[in-house]
Amino acid sequence: MSSADPEHREEEEAPAVGDDEDTGAHVAPIVKLEEVAVTTGEEDEDAILDLKSKLYRFDKDGNQWKERGAGTVKFLKHKASGKVRLLMRQSKTLKICANHLILPTMSVQEHAGNEKSCVWHARDFADGELKDELFCIRFPSIENCKSFMETFQEVAETQKAEDEKESSDAAGLIEKLSVEEKADAEKKDEEKSEDKTVEKESASGKESKAVEEPASSA
Amino acid sequence: MALPNQQTVDYPSFKLVIVGDGGTGKTTFVKRHLTGEFEKKYEPTIGVEVHPLDFFTNCGKIRFYCWDTAGQEKFGGLRDGYYIHGQCAIIMFDVTARLTYKNVPTWHRDLCRVCENIPIVLCGNKVDVKNRQVKAKQVTFHRKKNLQYYEISAKSNYNFEKPFLYLARKLAGDTNLHFVESPALAPPEVQIDLAAQQQHEAELLAAASQPLPDDDDDQFE
Repeated sequence: MSSADPEHREEEEAPAVGDDEDTGAHVAPIVKLEEVAVTTGEEDEDAILDLKSKLYRFDKDGNQWKERGAGTVKFLKHKASGKVRLLMRQSKTLKICANHLILPTMSVQEHAGNEKSCVWHARDFADGELKDELFCIRFPSIENCKSFMETFQEVAETQKAEDEKESSDAAGLIEKLSVEEKADAEKKDEEKSEDKTVEKESASGKESKAVEEPASSA
Repeated sequence: MALPNQQTVDYPSFKLVIVGDGGTGKTTFVKRHLTGEFEKKYEPTIGVEVHPLDFFTNCGKIRFYCWDTAGQEKFGGLRDGYYIHGQCAIIMFDVTARLTYKNVPTWHRDLCRVCENIPIVLCGNKVDVKNRQVKAKQVTFHRKKNLQYYEISAKSNYNFEKPFLYLARKLAGDTNLHFVESPALAPPEVQIDLAAQQQHEAELLAAASQPLPDDDDDQFE
């Protein structure tokens, strides 16, 4: 018997097991569900990279990589804040495998044994709580891996530039605060990070502490 | 409906019983969904392990309490006592082991004694393996007993969402129900700790030399 023959027959048989065919018994539904609006959490973001990939997380206890999911990885840039996050979803179930910001201090490096893979560290929010993870991601091609690494580095560099701008903006704002209270009110609504500065100053009432704030955020 | 010994959640939840011979991949299948991992090592389940598994659908969030039962008789514990109040079920067999398919009628009989008229999915696992012993054409039990049948692979993720989607549709009586994106919350700002960062970089360097757990030629879907 040739090895090709069983494979061929299996291909023929596959359509017989039609996914759409329901061979199950009729059972009375036990819940009534109403359609709801879907909120992906990505509504205010633009995708700047979108690639099929496979994600792994490093298990320190076992000193080994473990699969986290196969699906699609995206870099999503927020339309208002300009911040970029990495979001990976698993195929079919569309559950989240990874969800973290790309920070200025982050970098990505090649995996030693695989030229289609690279590794990085992140504070991940996939499960709704921050958790330190070492991630590895593998792509179908070397080109896609390079594209991911280049975009990752570019985003980190961009975030660094924007962080520096934010620092100087914050410093400028503090100088304004003593002069112009209305500008303070407007800025308070617009930017969350500067809101903290305002709160701290009003709470402490001391000018020296307010001045210290931009240094720590830098 | 709050089941005994289960925490209640404010969205629909169901008790899903998973049965089948030992080694067919019941625990590996559940774990694949829970963590994304593919567990290669076989450790027989003792008694039962219950895992909550959430999905987001176009009709909101739902949860399956997966009662992953012992397949080996000697670890059966309460055996069919675990089936009580089951609202849906999966019967797993291994397409590379003919005996596991032959035993499906017994699992089905024991299950139906306790759970009457619930949706049941028959799963033929390990279809990624070349030398399968049970061909798709040979699987006919589902038609005789009005079960749904899916060929799956916990290793390649082939059809791995289908059993849950089928059961959700049956339980809701909605053939158009489908999975949608889980909401991706905005990650909070994080403070950068330089000392911790250096440690992470050292750990990353070491981790980068560890091999990946699966073959490079795995298909991307």
